[in-house]
Amino acid sequence: MITIYINDKPYKVEEGQTIMQAADKVGFRIPRLCYHPKLSIEGACRVCIVEVEGAKNYVASCAFPVSEGMKIKTNSEELRRARRDIVELILDNHPQDCHTCERDGICELQRLAFSMGIRKRHFEGERKHYEKDLSSTSVVRDPNKCILCGRCVRICSEIQKANVLGHAHRGFKTVVMPAYNMPFSESVCTTCGQCINVCPTAAFVEKNYTQELFQKLNDKSIVKIAQIAPSVRAAIGEAFGLEAGKAMEHEIVAALKRLGFDYVFDTQFSADLTIMEEGSEFLERLQGKGKLPMITSCSSAWMKCLEQFHPDLIENVSTAKSPMSMMSAMIKTYFAQKIKRDPKDILSVAIMCCTAKKYEASRPELMVEGLPATDMVITTREIAWMIKSSGIDLLDIKGENFDEPLGLSSGAGTIFGTTGGVMEAAIRTAYELYTGETLLDIEIADIRGFKGVKEGKVIMDGKEIRVAVAHGLGNANEVLEIARKDPSRYHFIEIMGCPGGCIGGGGQPYAGYNSIPLDEECLKKRAEALYGLDRNKTIRRSHENPDIQRIYKEFLGRPLSPAAHKLLHTHYKAKEPRGIIPVVNAVL
Amino acid sequence: MPSRYVITLCDGPSCMHKKSKEIEMVIKSELEKNGLLEKTRVMLSGCLGMCKKGPVMIVNPGYTIYGGITEKDIPEIIQKHLLKKQPVARLVIDEDHLYNRFFRIFGDVDFFRKQMRITLRNCGIMDPESIEDYLALRGYEALGKVLTEMTPQQVIAEVKKSGLRGRGGAGFPTGLKWEITAKAEGKEKFVICNADEGDPGAFMDRSAIEGDPHTVIEGMIIGGYAVGSSRGIVYIRAEYPLAVKRLEKAIVDARQEGFLGKNILGSNFSFDIEIRLGAGAFVCGEETALIHSIEGSRGMPRPRPPFPSVSGLFGNPTLINNVETWANIPVIILDGADWFSSIGTEKSKGTKVFALAGKIKNTGLVEVPMGTTLREIIYEIGGGIPNNKKIKAIQTGGPSGGCLSEEYLDTKIDYESLAQAGSIMGSGGMIIIDEDSCMVNIAKFFLEFTQNESCGKCTPCREGTKRMLEILTRITEGKGEEGDIEKLQRLGNMIKKSSLCGLGQSAPNPVLSTIKNFRVEYEEHIKNRKCPAKVCQSLFNYSIIDKCVGCGACKKICPTQAISGQAKAKHAIDQSKCIKCGLCFKTCKFNAIIKS
Amino acid sequence: MLTPLETIKKKRAEAISRIIGKGYLSTKRVYVGMATCEIAAGSKGVMEVFSQAIKKGLADVYLSQKGCAGRCNLEPTVEVIEEGKIPVKYCKVTPQMAVDIIERHLKKGEIIKEWIIK
Repeated sequence: MITIYINDKPYKVEEGQTIMQAADKVGFRIPRLCYHPKLSIEGACRVCIVEVEGAKNYVASCAFPVSEGMKIKTNSEELRRARRDIVELILDNHPQDCHTCERDGICELQRLAFSMGIRKRHFEGERKHYEKDLSSTSVVRDPNKCILCGRCVRICSEIQKANVLGHAHRGFKTVVMPAYNMPFSESVCTTCGQCINVCPTAAFVEKNYTQELFQKLNDKSIVKIAQIAPSVRAAIGEAFGLEAGKAMEHEIVAALKRLGFDYVFDTQFSADLTIMEEGSEFLERLQGKGKLPMITSCSSAWMKCLEQFHPDLIENVSTAKSPMSMMSAMIKTYFAQKIKRDPKDILSVAIMCCTAKKYEASRPELMVEGLPATDMVITTREIAWMIKSSGIDLLDIKGENFDEPLGLSSGAGTIFGTTGGVMEAAIRTAYELYTGETLLDIEIADIRGFKGVKEGKVIMDGKEIRVAVAHGLGNANEVLEIARKDPSRYHFIEIMGCPGGCIGGGGQPYAGYNSIPLDEECLKKRAEALYGLDRNKTIRRSHENPDIQRIYKEFLGRPLSPAAHKLLHTHYKAKEPRGIIPVVNAVL
Repeated sequence: MPSRYVITLCDGPSCMHKKSKEIEMVIKSELEKNGLLEKTRVMLSGCLGMCKKGPVMIVNPGYTIYGGITEKDIPEIIQKHLLKKQPVARLVIDEDHLYNRFFRIFGDVDFFRKQMRITLRNCGIMDPESIEDYLALRGYEALGKVLTEMTPQQVIAEVKKSGLRGRGGAGFPTGLKWEITAKAEGKEKFVICNADEGDPGAFMDRSAIEGDPHTVIEGMIIGGYAVGSSRGIVYIRAEYPLAVKRLEKAIVDARQEGFLGKNILGSNFSFDIEIRLGAGAFVCGEETALIHSIEGSRGMPRPRPPFPSVSGLFGNPTLINNVETWANIPVIILDGADWFSSIGTEKSKGTKVFALAGKIKNTGLVEVPMGTTLREIIYEIGGGIPNNKKIKAIQTGGPSGGCLSEEYLDTKIDYESLAQAGSIMGSGGMIIIDEDSCMVNIAKFFLEFTQNESCGKCTPCREGTKRMLEILTRITEGKGEEGDIEKLQRLGNMIKKSSLCGLGQSAPNPVLSTIKNFRVEYEEHIKNRKCPAKVCQSLFNYSIIDKCVGCGACKKICPTQAISGQAKAKHAIDQSKCIKCGLCFKTCKFNAIIKS
Repeated sequence: MLTPLETIKKKRAEAISRIIGKGYLSTKRVYVGMATCEIAAGSKGVMEVFSQAIKKGLADVYLSQKGCAGRCNLEPTVEVIEEGKIPVKYCKVTPQMAVDIIERHLKKGEIIKEWIIK
């Protein structure tokens, strides 16, 4: 422990931390903007500057280490003015359109400007002007709102290791863009949406489909069907000011009904279906039919990443569609037949925690009966806004149940929403299918939690099955490198594109007033909400779900049957990223 | 006929103290007595670096150095040496300093005699593409000495003792930097030469590498030996193709001679150098941005600490010095830290190279001992201001530096004095500004440069300099407002103290220093809408006065037909058509067109 | 086994004798500034004149390029150096002047005073 002085008062703090970290622990919260605890130190915004005695200039408290006897001033008049001026300079080059901005009220820059007490502007002048990039199915980039904190660049390169974004040009003309200013749709963007999550302003937002959806919901000639992903229910409360970790499944069902949906189904049902197909596929591969290790295919961002960056592993990836696409396929076939409607007259809307699902929905290979299986994907944020905008009181609503026959799910389907969940669900079923015995100890601690790469094993009939779980595309890279070097190390790998799995998806509510984006505590609470739902269910294994048994009996036959293959499986192909010359053709 | 003899008498402070002036008088009268005055040139030089043996004089040709001379010795020297070509042995001192060689050739030129060439000692006197030439000039001897007689610790101690400070601008003690790097732990260590010279008008590094590439290489090898590194990188501007070519050749030659590569000269020490080309970003001269650039990332600075000495290239301890700093190393090793530290001022040792430019008679590269005054550089070396104009300001330190007014002419050049005066040493740009220049416009010019070259990472530099530039532009267009000066100062001081790297921290300097030293000019622009120097186009008109003889030259050249008038009668300018291109002003031979 | 210092001293001695072998001491040494700045001022043409003259039989001249000595406004510069004499430094040399330097100075020993750097 060393002693530092903050504003003339001594504090005992631990060595080896930055001024900001030390100050945080003794009751100061130095204003900050570009800083994010999960990302490297950028030191770019200069909002967190403090005075250190002996230093010629202000130092960025996010970057500067404490030392014995250091005398720090966080609030001197001169410093306050400098900090205020810095924030004003950011505002001066930012559109003055808060009232019409998607992030009005939940914008970090707004909060910061407010706390600086900027009541008058001194330095207004030229403002940047760029075109919005609307090309992507998932992410909208609006450089006019960008304040160049670099969080998106860092999360994309450091956590997701996709390296889509970078700074370009110099000085006042600096702008964050994909390589060669390519449209997002043609870049290597995996559409994971993490840039949206960490952006303090609205420089990155999801491609918004709420207006189209409102229109369609008024169309009496079509059947409007919604499905809800597991982690939407674990997080939507936050958008309504609730503490993280409150599960709200029945409330959402009721709210969606009031919005005008005719049926509300549960993506957890199709998660169970996924387990049946993927679990069976795994057992086939285990018996020598197909490549090992098998890798999961639920995460859309990961699938785009696979096609672009890991095409060598396409054969290792399960051919099973994601739960969303399985559900949509079932809605447009099985359920359409049940209600005797032409699938053309069905609007299938997926409420997802994810921006990449918007991209997945547009994949042509997922079409069913010549129609897009999923017509529209709406994120947690969008649906929360729609509910508020329609004057529906989510917090005091009387909960309703999901509709039959695609609404009943097991606990295994629920935990799909968190990292390790798919693997755990798969083991619960695969164990029984392989050994004929029921796995009793179904909560597998090794693959729970937020470690980047988790490893675990189960013994099935004396055979050791080694599994690995990675969340976030950066961690995925890591586990795949291990698997490439030692192909027999794992039998089964779960990969989720986002940190924490779907609960940390790019479409989840923005961080609240006292939180930060992707705060691990918040992710833990969301995960706990899902684990709680799982614990409270009597059916916790996918194959025990009676509606799953029914759909196989009535419609699909058995897992991996020709019918199942046609509707529930897909294929992937390598996609050479544009702008990158394949090595063989490169002129050396 | 040019002189047959040149006698150079040291005019440094130490020799002057020992009556060199009086000696000069005696020399002249003795020459006259012997009828040699016509054939001999007597001149005073700047400090020759032999203060302990002063007063010192050198007789050329032959480069005979006499030390400790008194007035009484002069007749003997003239009699014996000049008339009978027999040097007076008892007074001859043997000072084989490396810098002497330059003066054997150039010592009789006014421009050079006040200079002291340490880092540029070989520039202009040898073939830069010949390692033989360099060897002949005691090249690589310092390396041999280090590898044979010195431990790495001794090398560091010597550099520390020399008092050498980084010549890139910040002036960090070089020896200390070496020591920190040597002590830092890492998988491997790197030595980098920063040759990304980007200041407008500065070309010290280019000249040094083009004129004598081996010096830099030798310095780097010694640095590598001292800190325990085996990999050197020269980061050089791609805009310097000839420097790159000569450096490449020098590296190949050095490798061939066994000065680079594995097991250098059988010493078990291995070191090699590779070249990385910069992509033309000014900010890559900042060490952390430079390192990012070498790593393949966008050249953007990062917060320090950790300093590159501890965690630099690819996270490894990295010793990074600029060209001029490296070029000092062989001299310090061969001539010794004691000698080196005898040159300069208390806190700034050795010499500094400046690129002299602007409104000055002799533009060029000068290397002077620290402590030389601005006046000496401008008037004694630079030859003063052309066309009998008055000097208005001295801009030092490139776009990051400040503008000093005439009253600072006697400021001694060293890191502290220049900083105290409100400017910086920087990497060595020196631009002389005469009365025809508008200081607001000058400040705007420099700020425009830094604003364009800002990497865009940190807010104060990216946004703040833009706002300052807008205010300055406004002022020069006659749209300045009450309070603009205060706004500039408020922003400037904030940017200086809050920016991430040296570029931002120094970007407001030209503005702040011109406000400090030339505030009246700003006020004239703002309050009276006048540009006193008549540079800012919006603030003056061209008009024709009675001197006009009606030759019609202006009428002919005017691109907008704004000038009318009968032949041989006074012409007139239609202000509504005039675009103030200034062509008529330049064309008129009768000074009949004025700015008003 | 030589120490590194001894090796370098030996290399230096060899280098010097090679340079002297090329006529360093016995002839007039002509240095033409060939840094970027000098080339921009036109020194390539000047160099060409000297090297052509040597090709065509101009004897007793040791021609070499050199870096920039720092006299920007007087470039291109050419030095003619003879052992035991004050070096002659010409400035703003054009190819035509180079021809004159060859004819008058190198061949006849006449120093062209008005072209010398003061």
